[in-house]
Amino acid sequence: MIYVNDLRKEFKKTIKEPGLKGSVKALFRPNNEIIKAVDGISFHVDKGEMLGFIGPNGAGKSTVIKMLTGILTPTSGTCEINGHIPQANRQKYVKEIGVVFGQRTQLWWDLALRETYSVLKEIYEVPDNEFKKRMAFLNEVLELDDFISSPVRTLSLGQRMRADIAASLLHNPKVLFLDEPTIGLDVVVKDNIRNAIQKINAEEGTTVILTTHDLADIEMLCNRIVMIDKGKKVFDGEISDLKHEFGQMRDLCFELNHTDDISKLHYVIDLKLKDDDIEVKNEGTAVSVRFNSDAVSVENMLSYTLSKVHVKDINLKDADIEEIIRRIYRQEVSIDEV
Amino acid sequence: MRRMLRLHRIFVAQYMKNLMEYKVDFLTGAISFLLGQVIQIAFLGIIFSGIPNLVGWEFNEILFIYGFSLIPKGLDHLLFDNLWSVGYFIVRKGDFDKYLTRPINSLFYVICEKFCVDAFGELLIGLILMVYSMIQLKLTITWYMIPLFIVAVVFATLIYTAIKIATSAISFWTKASGHITHMFYMTNDFSKYPTTIYNKFVRTFITYIVPFAFTAFYPASYFLTGENPLFCIGGTVIASVVLFMISVFIWNKGIKAYESAGS
Repeated sequence: MIYVNDLRKEFKKTIKEPGLKGSVKALFRPNNEIIKAVDGISFHVDKGEMLGFIGPNGAGKSTVIKMLTGILTPTSGTCEINGHIPQANRQKYVKEIGVVFGQRTQLWWDLALRETYSVLKEIYEVPDNEFKKRMAFLNEVLELDDFISSPVRTLSLGQRMRADIAASLLHNPKVLFLDEPTIGLDVVVKDNIRNAIQKINAEEGTTVILTTHDLADIEMLCNRIVMIDKGKKVFDGEISDLKHEFGQMRDLCFELNHTDDISKLHYVIDLKLKDDDIEVKNEGTAVSVRFNSDAVSVENMLSYTLSKVHVKDINLKDADIEEIIRRIYRQEVSIDEV
Repeated sequence: MRRMLRLHRIFVAQYMKNLMEYKVDFLTGAISFLLGQVIQIAFLGIIFSGIPNLVGWEFNEILFIYGFSLIPKGLDHLLFDNLWSVGYFIVRKGDFDKYLTRPINSLFYVICEKFCVDAFGELLIGLILMVYSMIQLKLTITWYMIPLFIVAVVFATLIYTAIKIATSAISFWTKASGHITHMFYMTNDFSKYPTTIYNKFVRTFITYIVPFAFTAFYPASYFLTGENPLFCIGGTVIASVVLFMISVFIWNKGIKAYESAGS
């Protein structure tokens, strides 16, 4: 369905010294630098799959999405979606996709929302009966009825996002690209949108590619994630694999009765651990110990700790996906070629 | 083509509804524009009341050329005004993304998104000036002049549009090119007067390089004198077709260089 092969995008950036003087200097003697925004990414997506595309800010997610949607032309490499090369046959290709950029709206700002849909109907040449059916369906899943007659500029962010998603689905696209569809939304609206996406995927078999910083989106919607960082792919696989692979680090947090007790704990020596397997942080009476549960069992960890010190409170944190990803972003965990 | 016309009609309707949303803004805009035009004409009258003729062209002939120049300029203004925004901010802010994710030609889409009603002022005044000067000059109109007039106006409009397309497409590389468009566009002021009053450099420039002379003086002089139809009308057609082809080529190249903006 979607094949991406060694995709690259380079931008030329002029390095300027600060201030007006620097700007003037750059005008006459530009100091250019090539930025590799996307540096050789390959992956493929099957029909009907929901793929989460994640990575820290500036990793190149949006650039990849923009190449896949035909907005940007790759420096090299290829992408093929549904048998189309986006840049080669743009007009025909975009008819089969829906695009939502969470940070930008595609709605007609000053007009009633309804007007946007009637224009899009013409642009995508949706027949009347099809349009009615489609609107009814979108109304049901995204609850547009309350605000369909209001001018777009008066919509709340949550309403606008729902309206935008509906706009991208009006022509029943085969692939839906969602770039941060839940950005800045409250919990209820997020849930509403996630449910809608799930429903559309289930009922229409729409392939969905989703970028987000909200990992709950990913956990709820996607079976598979592709993680990129600095323009390179760092992980491609199922979420359970990610947990399995990097989830052995656990956090034991407890509160001591006496601040001095911390000196009684000698994890590395007493439990015969390697330095890499354990990390102790403390601040006053609060202590948090991150340990590798493959090297030392949770049971041993707990009994050792409790035998040495008295604690007020103790808890053991599960390996959550957010923590794993945070560590990958911070490069605490290195990932070799996956 | 039929689909394009239909879409154009729909976009225009949307734009008009948009205007009506801000009635006060629309009304003040319309009034101030009309006022501006009237002042311009009055000014022209004052200047020419002191100068009975200009290198062999009398006042009413100048008026005709001036009036003619407003027609293609007004049409371009009416239909293709959104190209200015491309060079000034659409590309720079990354808003051009929108035009590339729709199954219609991006150039066409940008163009028909705006419909500049202000331009009716120019068109109206252009027509008034032409009719008035024709009556004063007792110009005889033969039937074939009407299709020739339409051809001349259509292709003269295209010259304006092509120059705007080419210069605003530069923004795909430079991020902003509104001022470049402005610079080229302003040379159209030369075309409102007989080219014979300029020195050789300016004349060559507005005839062969940025052929604004073909948007007013050359075609208008044919209708005044009936001389040189091949150069005056044929030249307009050729200049505009060549320029338009070049500009579309630059536009399409530009789209490939488009870099969007971070989000």
